[in-house]
Amino acid sequence: MTTYERQKFEVFSGLKGSRLLMSDDWKEEVSKCSKCGKCHTVCPVFLETHDESSVARGRISLAEALLDQQIVYTEKLRDYVYSCKKCMRCRKVCPSDVDYEKIISALLHGVAENMGIPLLPKIIFRYILPRRILFDILLKVSSRVQRFMPMKKRGQMRHLPLLFMGKRWIPTLARKSALQKFRKTKKIKNPRMRVGFFTGCLINYIYVDVAEAVVEVLNRMNIEVVVPQRQLCCGTPSSTMGDVKSTKRLAEENRKVFESLELDAIVSACATCTKAIKNDYLRILGPSWKQMSDKIYDISEFIDTFIGDIPGVKPLEEKVTYHDPCHLLWVRNISEEPRSVLKKSSRFVEMDMADACCGGGGIFTIIHYDLTLKMLERKVNSIEKSGAATVATNCPGCVMQIADGLASRNSTIKTTHSIKILQEALRKSEART
Amino acid sequence: MLFKRKKRTADIDRKGVSELVRALGKDRVLTEIEDRLCYSYDGTKQKAVPDIVIRPGTTSDVAATLKIANRHGIPVCSRGAGTGLSGGAVPLQGGIILDLKGMNRILSICPEDFTATVEPGVVTKYLQDEVAKYGLFYPPDPSSAAFSTVGGNVAECAGGITGLKYGVTRDYILALEIVLSDGSVIHTGRKTRRSVTGYDLTRLFVGSEGTLGIFTKITVKLIPEPEKIETLAAFFSERDDAIDAADLVIENSILPRTLEFMDHMSISAVRGYGGITLDEGVKALLLIDIDGTGENIKHDLPIVESACRKKNALKVKVAETGKERNAIWSVRRSISPALYTIASHKLNEDVCVPRSKIKELLQKIDTINEKQEIFVANFGHIGDGNIHVNIMYSDEPGQEEIAESVVQRVMEEVVELGGTISGEHGIGNRKSQFMELEISPQELSIMKKFKDFFDPKGIMNPGKLFPSSL
Repeated sequence: MTTYERQKFEVFSGLKGSRLLMSDDWKEEVSKCSKCGKCHTVCPVFLETHDESSVARGRISLAEALLDQQIVYTEKLRDYVYSCKKCMRCRKVCPSDVDYEKIISALLHGVAENMGIPLLPKIIFRYILPRRILFDILLKVSSRVQRFMPMKKRGQMRHLPLLFMGKRWIPTLARKSALQKFRKTKKIKNPRMRVGFFTGCLINYIYVDVAEAVVEVLNRMNIEVVVPQRQLCCGTPSSTMGDVKSTKRLAEENRKVFESLELDAIVSACATCTKAIKNDYLRILGPSWKQMSDKIYDISEFIDTFIGDIPGVKPLEEKVTYHDPCHLLWVRNISEEPRSVLKKSSRFVEMDMADACCGGGGIFTIIHYDLTLKMLERKVNSIEKSGAATVATNCPGCVMQIADGLASRNSTIKTTHSIKILQEALRKSEART
Repeated sequence: MLFKRKKRTADIDRKGVSELVRALGKDRVLTEIEDRLCYSYDGTKQKAVPDIVIRPGTTSDVAATLKIANRHGIPVCSRGAGTGLSGGAVPLQGGIILDLKGMNRILSICPEDFTATVEPGVVTKYLQDEVAKYGLFYPPDPSSAAFSTVGGNVAECAGGITGLKYGVTRDYILALEIVLSDGSVIHTGRKTRRSVTGYDLTRLFVGSEGTLGIFTKITVKLIPEPEKIETLAAFFSERDDAIDAADLVIENSILPRTLEFMDHMSISAVRGYGGITLDEGVKALLLIDIDGTGENIKHDLPIVESACRKKNALKVKVAETGKERNAIWSVRRSISPALYTIASHKLNEDVCVPRSKIKELLQKIDTINEKQEIFVANFGHIGDGNIHVNIMYSDEPGQEEIAESVVQRVMEEVVELGGTISGEHGIGNRKSQFMELEISPQELSIMKKFKDFFDPKGIMNPGKLFPSSL
């Protein structure tokens, strides 16, 4: 019988001395993983690749190997860390209650510290995102330039100058941002509440109509809406690339802006922004953010919680289905509220696998475009099967992704934010009476 | 692309690797450390890093791999989803890990023959859902069904909660396509519901834990899906009452679909986990599913209820809605994770005794742990006598040794009672040391002869099943 000689474990000589970094709390989480494999059942990336390196259990093992100094930060490791969509669905089913978000954030941070962040995102995170005026100017220039782009289709166009993703249909930049539109707060006589609106970048620069819908709907409900002019990006783009410093800076600026105002609540119409400012800021800014965090609501959650039966609304004739954004469902457990509001404002139909990821979201869509498309295809299939005329959701990122999928199939199904459905229903009900 | 890349040479460059790359293509042969680490463990939390990860797509990929491995004497450990609880998929001696998760097609479902043929990487729950579309039922239902694979289930002969009425994986395997250690491919069994032609090689391979060959196609037997299921939870203040009630149900000629038991320690772990309220007085719990036609259930349900009441059940709750049913089962499903609230480490043994000996077994376990140095929680498939003995221990010095000695003594008692050291998880490396308790030297040597016949070079999942002395 041959005896097989085992390969010795070797640490790569050229890359010695990686820094592990950060607080110890994530190390404890790593050891909590019981390796049961239950995260396989829900991970949208694993569902496509069936590869252990693309699921939480695999990445946790890599984190473990880093801690044991069996490996160091390498390009391969970076690929595997970046292949996580951070939808946090695995967190929801984990029997051992591992706080995977702590682990993946630590890994992203480690990758950034040891391997650097590519120049372009770095410039954006460190120099552009924290400066509202500069950001405005750059986007304004881009919005002018994009007018000369060929190939337009229902308000979408091919190419976004920054991404060079030739195959995608991407919405055009608005000429006037949401912040500019709502410089002044519309005063309401004896308002029942006074809320702040966190717009987020996508809504501010692209889906200005969603911002208009938020303000209009809330105003109609006798709620005063303040749109703080100095609010910045929520910090998700920089945190998904492990740029902890930039993220912290954005969080601190936003804290100043919102704490200086006396507000009953803060609403956001972006699932990712809501998650960032409500949940992530608690980690970034510490427990002192708790008081503010408790006041933050997704727009549908806010309406369902504080308004309930919407006065004077008659449901639209249109069949509308709802897609659950990962960051709203898996992080915040919000699924009933948006449906409840949609049921009051349209003929709501449920789609199969409404909770499946649409594939959208940040750098994942750039790095793993092929996987993104597979997820999108499943989603678009479910939407088409539902028989709805419109698919609504509560995340502009998902709107962008799903609209792209439907546009490339030449589908007539519309994609929109669910607050726009309510806005339309309210307008039509008023016109009828 | 967003990033510039440096070129990196493979970690290992040795005989066999280049041959494997030539035979399978470089996408199917992974040798970098990050990949190898991702395939170094299973549900036991043990870890051994393989030297090569192979991700085959077809039977011929598997055959080519084994041919090369056999020539060079490289160990081969196969792996489904890596959820096993006995260490079967941990590549103890390095070498190749064969990740079969990518071979995950359902090749056919034949409603007229009541069979389905699948590749080994198909997730069990997916198979169950697909056959249900034809009104058919694949009963083996391990707790991990939603993420474990059919191939892995066959290799370990997985059990599950429906075992009492419907049997285990073994009872549903009709035919196998197997790649042997030299790369040759054999087909055992037929797609018929019965076949007595020659020795039953199919049964020999089911539960062989990757030590004899690799399954590349599996034909399973299906049965009609029962029309209806009802769920009932019975709460007891005495453990023995619950066991007596379970007996009485069966004595009344009712064979429940599932008959699950939870002891005092298991209950205290899940108390407060939601699902159903568990008062302090509840010291034992039975969860019973009965299935069949509406008429059957109408007949059986009152009998089951009264059996529980007769044996002093504090309360019997029949689920009225699907939601309630889920709530009841969520309590059962939350035991394993909830146990970690008691202590940070767990030795999960899946011993099985004849049904009539359950009471005795639990008493023996109490005696073993008389000084209560350690927490032991018992729950599981009481209907089959398959009890999960969970020995919980902390990081404190000495605890691990106590836990291990408790396991040793439990195993001895189980065998003494005519039971078996593994009812559903398999032996792997975790229980190989106890093999000699149950299996006589003569039988072990017959098993070893089979092993040597099919795997003369000893490359198939070495370090598993047999005690190290053999």
